[in-house]
Amino acid sequence: MRKYAVSDSQLISQYKNGSEEAFAELVNRHKNKIYTTVYLIVKDQFLAEDLLQETYVKVVNTIKSGRYNEEGKFLPWVTRIAHNLAIDHFRKAKRYPMIVMEDGSNIFNTLEFSEDSIESRQIQQDTHALLRDLIKELPDSQREVLMMRHYMQMSFQEIAEATDVSINTALGRMRYALINLRKKMNKLNIAYDQNLYPR
Amino acid sequence: MIKTFTQDDLVRYIYQETTPEESIEIETALIFDEQLSETYNKLSATVESLKAVNLRPSDTTVDKILSYSRSYDLHALR
Repeated sequence: MRKYAVSDSQLISQYKNGSEEAFAELVNRHKNKIYTTVYLIVKDQFLAEDLLQETYVKVVNTIKSGRYNEEGKFLPWVTRIAHNLAIDHFRKAKRYPMIVMEDGSNIFNTLEFSEDSIESRQIQQDTHALLRDLIKELPDSQREVLMMRHYMQMSFQEIAEATDVSINTALGRMRYALINLRKKMNKLNIAYDQNLYPR
Repeated sequence: MIKTFTQDDLVRYIYQETTPEESIEIETALIFDEQLSETYNKLSATVESLKAVNLRPSDTTVDKILSYSRSYDLHALR
Protein backbone atom coordinates (compact mmCIF):
# COMPACT_ATOMS: atom_id res chain seq x y z
CA MET A 1 0.00 0.00 0.00
CA ARG A 2 1.20 3.46 -0.86
CA LYS A 3 2.55 5.54 2.05
CA TYR A 4 1.86 9.24 2.22
CA ALA A 5 3.77 11.91 4.14
CA VAL A 6 0.51 13.06 5.70
CA SER A 7 -1.80 10.22 6.75
CA ASP A 8 -5.54 10.09 6.05
CA SER A 9 -6.25 10.50 9.72
CA GLN A 10 -4.10 13.66 9.90
CA LEU A 11 -5.93 15.06 6.87
CA ILE A 12 -9.29 14.33 8.51
CA SER A 13 -8.17 16.17 11.65
CA GLN A 14 -7.15 19.16 9.52
CA TYR A 15 -10.45 18.98 7.65
CA LYS A 16 -12.36 18.95 10.93
CA ASN A 17 -10.49 22.14 11.79
CA GLY A 18 -11.72 23.79 8.62
CA SER A 19 -9.03 22.95 6.05
CA GLU A 20 -10.75 22.45 2.70
CA GLU A 21 -7.31 21.81 1.17
CA ALA A 22 -6.99 18.75 3.40
CA PHE A 23 -10.35 17.51 2.14
CA ALA A 24 -9.31 18.10 -1.48
CA GLU A 25 -6.18 16.02 -0.85
CA LEU A 26 -8.28 13.21 0.66
CA VAL A 27 -10.66 13.24 -2.28
CA ASN A 28 -7.90 13.28 -4.89
CA ARG A 29 -5.94 10.61 -3.05
CA HIS A 30 -8.76 8.05 -3.14
CA LYS A 31 -11.15 9.12 -5.92
CA ASN A 32 -9.88 6.59 -8.49
CA LYS A 33 -10.17 3.56 -6.22
CA ILE A 34 -13.66 4.50 -5.08
CA TYR A 35 -14.81 5.38 -8.58
CA THR A 36 -13.40 2.12 -9.97
CA THR A 37 -15.19 0.14 -7.25
CA VAL A 38 -18.52 1.82 -8.04
CA TYR A 39 -18.03 1.52 -11.79
CA LEU A 40 -17.32 -2.21 -11.55
CA ILE A 41 -20.65 -2.64 -9.75
CA VAL A 42 -22.92 -0.39 -11.80
CA LYS A 43 -21.05 -0.64 -15.11
CA ASP A 44 -22.24 2.78 -16.15
CA GLN A 45 -19.89 5.73 -16.24
CA PHE A 46 -22.47 8.45 -15.61
CA LEU A 47 -24.21 6.59 -12.80
CA ALA A 48 -20.83 5.88 -11.20
CA GLU A 49 -20.05 9.62 -11.24
CA ASP A 50 -23.40 10.39 -9.56
CA LEU A 51 -22.86 7.72 -6.91
CA LEU A 52 -19.37 9.02 -6.23
CA GLN A 53 -20.88 12.43 -5.53
CA GLU A 54 -23.54 10.92 -3.27
CA THR A 55 -20.83 9.02 -1.43
CA TYR A 56 -18.86 12.16 -0.71
CA VAL A 57 -21.99 14.07 0.34
CA LYS A 58 -22.36 11.41 3.06
CA VAL A 59 -18.68 11.67 3.92
CA VAL A 60 -18.84 15.47 4.25
CA ASN A 61 -22.06 15.33 6.28
CA THR A 62 -20.64 12.70 8.63
CA ILE A 63 -17.30 14.39 9.23
CA LYS A 64 -18.57 17.96 9.44
CA SER A 65 -21.31 17.00 11.88
CA GLY A 66 -18.74 15.32 14.14
CA ARG A 67 -20.10 11.79 13.63
CA TYR A 68 -16.99 10.28 12.01
CA ASN A 69 -15.60 7.32 13.92
CA GLU A 70 -11.83 7.69 14.11
CA GLU A 71 -11.33 4.01 14.86
CA GLY A 72 -11.88 2.76 11.33
CA LYS A 73 -9.67 3.28 8.30
CA PHE A 74 -10.85 6.05 5.99
CA LEU A 75 -10.64 4.32 2.59
CA PRO A 76 -12.48 1.11 3.57
CA TRP A 77 -15.14 3.29 5.26
CA VAL A 78 -15.70 5.44 2.16
CA THR A 79 -15.63 2.53 -0.27
CA ARG A 80 -18.15 0.71 1.91
CA ILE A 81 -20.48 3.72 1.66
CA ALA A 82 -19.98 3.76 -2.12
CA HIS A 83 -20.52 -0.01 -2.37
CA ASN A 84 -23.74 0.19 -0.33
CA LEU A 85 -25.06 3.10 -2.40
CA ALA A 86 -24.38 1.18 -5.61
CA ILE A 87 -26.17 -1.91 -4.30
CA ASP A 88 -29.07 0.25 -2.99
CA HIS A 89 -29.42 1.80 -6.40
CA PHE A 90 -30.16 -1.58 -7.93
CA ARG A 91 -32.49 -2.59 -5.12
CA LYS A 92 -34.52 0.59 -5.63
CA ALA A 93 -34.55 0.20 -9.37
CA LYS A 94 -35.40 -3.50 -8.93
CA ARG A 95 -32.70 -4.32 -11.39
CA TYR A 96 -29.91 -6.80 -11.27
CA PRO A 97 -26.40 -5.43 -11.80
CA MET A 98 -25.46 -7.96 -14.46
CA ILE A 99 -28.04 -6.77 -17.02
CA VAL A 100 -27.32 -3.07 -16.95
CA MET A 101 -26.41 -1.59 -20.31
CA GLU A 102 -22.96 -0.17 -20.52
CA ASP A 103 -22.35 3.16 -22.17
CA GLY A 104 -18.62 3.09 -22.65
CA SER A 105 -18.44 5.84 -25.22
CA ASN A 106 -16.24 8.15 -23.20
CA ILE A 107 -14.81 5.72 -20.72
CA PHE A 108 -11.36 5.62 -22.30
CA ASN A 109 -11.04 9.34 -21.79
CA THR A 110 -11.20 8.87 -18.03
CA LEU A 111 -8.43 6.31 -17.77
CA GLU A 112 -5.13 7.28 -16.26
CA PHE A 113 -2.16 7.01 -18.56
CA SER A 114 1.46 7.76 -18.32
CA GLU A 115 3.25 9.79 -20.97
CA ASP A 116 3.55 7.14 -23.63
CA SER A 117 3.33 6.78 -27.35
CA ILE A 118 -0.11 6.77 -28.97
CA GLU A 119 0.35 3.14 -29.93
CA SER A 120 1.28 1.99 -26.43
CA ARG A 121 -1.58 4.04 -24.97
CA GLN A 122 -3.99 2.29 -27.31
CA ILE A 123 -2.68 -1.08 -26.15
CA GLN A 124 -3.13 0.00 -22.53
CA GLN A 125 -6.67 1.19 -23.22
CA ASP A 126 -7.64 -2.04 -24.91
CA THR A 127 -6.07 -4.18 -22.20
CA HIS A 128 -7.66 -2.18 -19.38
CA ALA A 129 -11.06 -2.35 -21.03
CA LEU A 130 -10.74 -6.11 -21.47
CA LEU A 131 -9.71 -6.57 -17.86
CA ARG A 132 -12.68 -4.55 -16.64
CA ASP A 133 -14.97 -6.73 -18.70
CA LEU A 134 -13.38 -9.88 -17.29
CA ILE A 135 -13.88 -8.66 -13.71
CA LYS A 136 -17.51 -7.91 -14.48
CA GLU A 137 -17.97 -11.47 -15.78
CA LEU A 138 -16.89 -13.07 -12.48
CA PRO A 139 -19.58 -14.70 -10.32
CA ASP A 140 -21.03 -12.16 -7.84
CA SER A 141 -19.51 -13.77 -4.74
CA GLN A 142 -16.02 -13.78 -6.27
CA ARG A 143 -16.26 -10.27 -7.68
CA GLU A 144 -17.48 -8.98 -4.31
CA VAL A 145 -14.50 -10.40 -2.42
CA LEU A 146 -12.07 -9.26 -5.11
CA MET A 147 -13.39 -5.71 -4.94
CA MET A 148 -13.47 -5.65 -1.16
CA ARG A 149 -9.89 -6.87 -0.88
CA HIS A 150 -8.27 -5.26 -3.88
CA TYR A 151 -10.03 -1.92 -4.20
CA MET A 152 -11.60 -1.36 -0.77
CA GLN A 153 -8.50 -2.69 0.99
CA MET A 154 -10.48 -4.67 3.55
CA SER A 155 -8.64 -7.55 5.22
CA PHE A 156 -9.85 -11.11 4.63
CA GLN A 157 -11.04 -11.16 8.24
CA GLU A 158 -13.09 -7.98 7.67
CA ILE A 159 -14.50 -9.41 4.43
CA ALA A 160 -15.47 -12.63 6.20
CA GLU A 161 -17.35 -10.63 8.84
CA ALA A 162 -19.00 -8.30 6.32
CA THR A 163 -20.22 -11.14 4.11
CA ASP A 164 -21.02 -13.52 6.96
CA VAL A 165 -18.73 -16.34 5.83
CA SER A 166 -15.63 -17.96 7.30
CA ILE A 167 -12.23 -16.48 6.52
CA ASN A 168 -11.40 -19.66 4.58
CA THR A 169 -14.45 -19.15 2.37
CA ALA A 170 -13.46 -15.52 1.75
CA LEU A 171 -9.92 -16.63 0.88
CA GLY A 172 -11.23 -19.39 -1.36
CA ARG A 173 -13.46 -16.97 -3.24
CA MET A 174 -10.53 -14.62 -3.78
CA ARG A 175 -8.38 -17.50 -4.99
CA TYR A 176 -11.06 -18.62 -7.44
CA ALA A 177 -11.54 -15.03 -8.60
CA LEU A 178 -7.82 -14.72 -9.36
CA ILE A 179 -7.64 -18.15 -11.01
CA ASN A 180 -10.74 -17.46 -13.11
CA LEU A 181 -9.40 -14.07 -14.15
CA ARG A 182 -6.10 -15.68 -15.08
CA LYS A 183 -7.85 -18.31 -17.22
CA LYS A 184 -9.93 -15.66 -18.97
CA MET A 185 -6.83 -13.54 -19.55
CA ASN A 186 -4.97 -16.52 -21.01
CA LYS A 187 -7.92 -17.30 -23.24
CA LEU A 188 -7.87 -13.75 -24.58
CA ASN A 189 -4.08 -13.74 -24.62
CA ILE A 190 -3.78 -10.79 -22.21
CA ALA A 191 -0.28 -10.97 -20.82
CA TYR A 192 1.04 -9.10 -17.84
CA ASP A 193 3.67 -6.72 -19.09
CA GLN A 194 5.77 -4.66 -16.69
CA ASN A 195 5.99 -1.91 -19.33
CA LEU A 196 2.22 -1.68 -19.56
CA TYR A 197 1.62 -1.72 -15.84
CA PRO A 198 4.40 0.33 -14.28
CA ARG A 199 4.53 0.23 -10.47
CA MET B 1 12.04 -29.38 6.87
CA ILE B 2 10.19 -27.21 4.34
CA LYS B 3 6.59 -26.52 5.35
CA THR B 4 3.78 -27.11 2.87
CA PHE B 5 1.62 -24.15 1.85
CA THR B 6 -1.72 -23.90 0.11
CA GLN B 7 -2.87 -21.52 -2.62
CA ASP B 8 -4.89 -19.66 0.03
CA ASP B 9 -1.64 -19.09 1.96
CA LEU B 10 -0.17 -17.59 -1.21
CA VAL B 11 -3.18 -15.27 -1.57
CA ARG B 12 -2.67 -14.09 2.02
CA TYR B 13 1.05 -13.63 1.32
CA ILE B 14 0.45 -11.61 -1.86
CA TYR B 15 -1.93 -9.32 0.05
CA GLN B 16 0.56 -9.03 2.92
CA GLU B 17 -1.65 -10.76 5.46
CA THR B 18 0.87 -13.36 6.60
CA THR B 19 2.89 -12.96 9.78
CA PRO B 20 6.61 -12.13 9.35
CA GLU B 21 7.45 -15.74 10.32
CA GLU B 22 4.98 -17.17 7.80
CA SER B 23 6.33 -14.85 5.10
CA ILE B 24 9.88 -16.14 5.63
CA GLU B 25 8.65 -19.75 5.53
CA ILE B 26 6.69 -19.11 2.33
CA GLU B 27 9.67 -17.38 0.71
CA THR B 28 11.84 -20.39 1.59
CA ALA B 29 9.23 -22.79 0.23
CA LEU B 30 9.02 -20.77 -2.99
CA ILE B 31 12.72 -21.43 -3.60
CA PHE B 32 12.41 -25.20 -3.28
CA ASP B 33 8.86 -25.95 -4.41
CA GLU B 34 8.63 -25.43 -8.16
CA GLN B 35 4.88 -25.98 -8.33
CA LEU B 36 4.23 -23.53 -5.50
CA SER B 37 6.50 -21.01 -7.19
CA GLU B 38 4.65 -21.39 -10.49
CA THR B 39 1.29 -20.87 -8.78
CA TYR B 40 2.66 -17.83 -6.96
CA ASN B 41 3.87 -16.30 -10.23
CA LYS B 42 0.46 -16.77 -11.84
CA LEU B 43 -1.48 -15.37 -8.87
CA SER B 44 0.81 -12.39 -8.36
CA ALA B 45 0.81 -11.57 -12.10
CA THR B 46 -3.00 -11.49 -12.00
CA VAL B 47 -2.95 -9.19 -8.97
CA GLU B 48 -0.49 -6.90 -10.77
CA SER B 49 -2.83 -6.77 -13.75
CA LEU B 50 -5.69 -5.76 -11.46
CA LYS B 51 -3.69 -2.75 -10.33
CA ALA B 52 -3.89 -1.48 -13.90
CA VAL B 53 -7.68 -1.30 -13.78
CA ASN B 54 -7.81 2.20 -12.44
CA LEU B 55 -10.51 4.57 -13.62
CA ARG B 56 -10.67 8.27 -12.95
CA PRO B 57 -13.82 10.30 -12.39
CA SER B 58 -14.29 13.51 -14.33
CA ASP B 59 -12.91 16.78 -12.99
CA THR B 60 -16.46 18.17 -12.97
CA THR B 61 -17.57 15.51 -10.48
CA VAL B 62 -14.59 16.17 -8.24
CA ASP B 63 -15.24 19.93 -8.39
CA LYS B 64 -18.88 19.39 -7.38
CA ILE B 65 -17.76 17.33 -4.37
CA LEU B 66 -15.28 19.97 -3.24
CA SER B 67 -17.84 22.70 -3.79
CA TYR B 68 -20.40 20.83 -1.66
CA SER B 69 -17.91 20.64 1.16
CA ARG B 70 -17.02 24.34 0.93
CA SER B 71 -20.70 25.31 1.07
CA TYR B 72 -21.65 22.72 3.71
CA ASP B 73 -22.57 25.34 6.29
CA LEU B 74 -25.09 26.80 3.88
CA HIS B 75 -26.65 23.34 3.34
CA ALA B 76 -26.69 22.64 7.07
CA LEU B 77 -28.51 25.90 7.83
CA ARG B 78 -31.38 25.04 5.50
